[in-house]
Amino acid sequence: MHDPIIRVKNLYKSYGELVAVNNLSFEVRKASCFGFLGPNGAGKTTLMKTLYNKATRDKNPETEVCVFGLDPQRDELSIKARTGVVPQENNLDDELNVIRNLNVFARLNGVPRVKADERIRELLEFMELKEKKSAKITDLSGGMKRRLTIARSLINKPQLLILDEPTTGLDPQVRHVIWNKLRSLKKEGVTILLTTHYMEEAFQICDRIIIMDKGGKVMEGNPAKLLKENIEEYVLEIHHKQYFTKVKDKVNSINARVDDSHEIILVYSSDLMSLKDISMLLPAGEFFLRQSNLEDLFLKITGRKLNESQ
Amino acid sequence: MKASSIIYPNLFNRLFSVWFRHYRVYTSHLISNGLPPFIEPLLFLVAIGLGLGNHIGIMQGMPYIEFLATGILLTSAMYTSAFECSYGTFIRLEYEKVYDGMLATPITVNDLIIGEIIWAGTKGFFFSFCVLIVVWVMGVLPIGIIALAPILGFFTGLMFAVMSLLITAFVKTINHFNFYFTGVLSPMFFFCGVVFPITDLPSFIQPVSYIFPLTHSVILVRALATGIFEQNMIWSIIYIAVFIPVVGWFSIQALKKRLID
Repeated sequence: MHDPIIRVKNLYKSYGELVAVNNLSFEVRKASCFGFLGPNGAGKTTLMKTLYNKATRDKNPETEVCVFGLDPQRDELSIKARTGVVPQENNLDDELNVIRNLNVFARLNGVPRVKADERIRELLEFMELKEKKSAKITDLSGGMKRRLTIARSLINKPQLLILDEPTTGLDPQVRHVIWNKLRSLKKEGVTILLTTHYMEEAFQICDRIIIMDKGGKVMEGNPAKLLKENIEEYVLEIHHKQYFTKVKDKVNSINARVDDSHEIILVYSSDLMSLKDISMLLPAGEFFLRQSNLEDLFLKITGRKLNESQ
Repeated sequence: MKASSIIYPNLFNRLFSVWFRHYRVYTSHLISNGLPPFIEPLLFLVAIGLGLGNHIGIMQGMPYIEFLATGILLTSAMYTSAFECSYGTFIRLEYEKVYDGMLATPITVNDLIIGEIIWAGTKGFFFSFCVLIVVWVMGVLPIGIIALAPILGFFTGLMFAVMSLLITAFVKTINHFNFYFTGVLSPMFFFCGVVFPITDLPSFIQPVSYIFPLTHSVILVRALATGIFEQNMIWSIIYIAVFIPVVGWFSIQALKKRLID
């Protein structure tokens, strides 16, 4: 059982001139949660689509894509039969109500009719949508639509769940509900693959992440470990350059790294006390001392902000 | 894990589940979707058939209302199928993104499109059947072999489904369908023998009319109405039997490019 559920080697995908995925390799273990982090246009969605043949990968002799030991381009149906997909856009069927949406998808997944009703009842309960079963899709809130889309993807009891930005644009409460659901699915043995913009999301539920930029892998590992090994523990944000000049000498005297390529100055260091001392010299409200996060890591590696839209 | 241990729905169930999605949507609005197919032919036959028909008298050996009634048995199938596979398909493709959701389930693009074509054929059958009921209730046509008309409606639906899908595959904005409806379907309505016989067209235009699918459906339905079958009608059957798979194949190839990145 040490075989990975997904094995991707040297994957390329381009749209004309644009290279969306550039020589990507990774492996996903059973019952783990694997995350792809990166800005818009980093190639996350395209990568997901190649796994269930919604996108055709570039022809390349070095490329190998295996999902459940099968090639998506040859055994699309077998893979999709045991996979659930939550796309970036909800794409629920607006012309059908909640329960009929699930009903139609039960059929598409070949769930026998007798089992479908029971499964739908379970899922509505699991996703806390029981009261909404006869509602029109257009009457649902954003969070409900997202939960329904997730419920829909679970109708065939998938062993692999692919989620493209599951919580983008949702309020923190709904986000936590969804994270909890994903955690319990993982406990049941479901392998989860997700993309996200949010470092918090990656931290909360991912066992392993890949940070992507411009179609390629920038870094891979456990989110907490990546931070620990690659970036200073704390960061002092100074909001104006003029204040930074005041403390510049002091900063240079400690073990710190300064990033001044943006509007605000970022002083990274693992020496919390020294950063605190420096912050004392700054006017209140003009600085922010915090723990560093994946965004800082991304910034360090690529020199760009994570949420820059591209 | 062995590939053989993986079960996915068989071809019939895959096609049926696509068909079922469309059926579910259609029957969700039973009154607004189910009434017009009866009302429209009724209006048409009363206004044009009876009203105008009084001034025309006999056409091709039958009262004008009878002549017209046999024609619109199939134009109703043509329009419903063409709408379904142009505006309907485009909206599902571009606005609602319904197909993206469906393609994440164990069905292929081929299943998706063929299921849709069969659904359009089903609508053609249903719409022809509705006209037939109206025609029978009005006493325009006797109950007889014309009862087979909905089967022709089914095949007419298939022809216009594959043709409309092919066009949809190349359409960039929904407004482009105006050209299709005004430039392709309306001429067929008027010049394929529905409202007057093809033989009344100038002789050099007559062969052109045989290019269009509706002409062949109409030739066959008139035979059902009159009970007069001629040997050369076999060509119309061959036309339909070839048109559907050939144009269907091209439409699948063209749509695949839009559905798979």
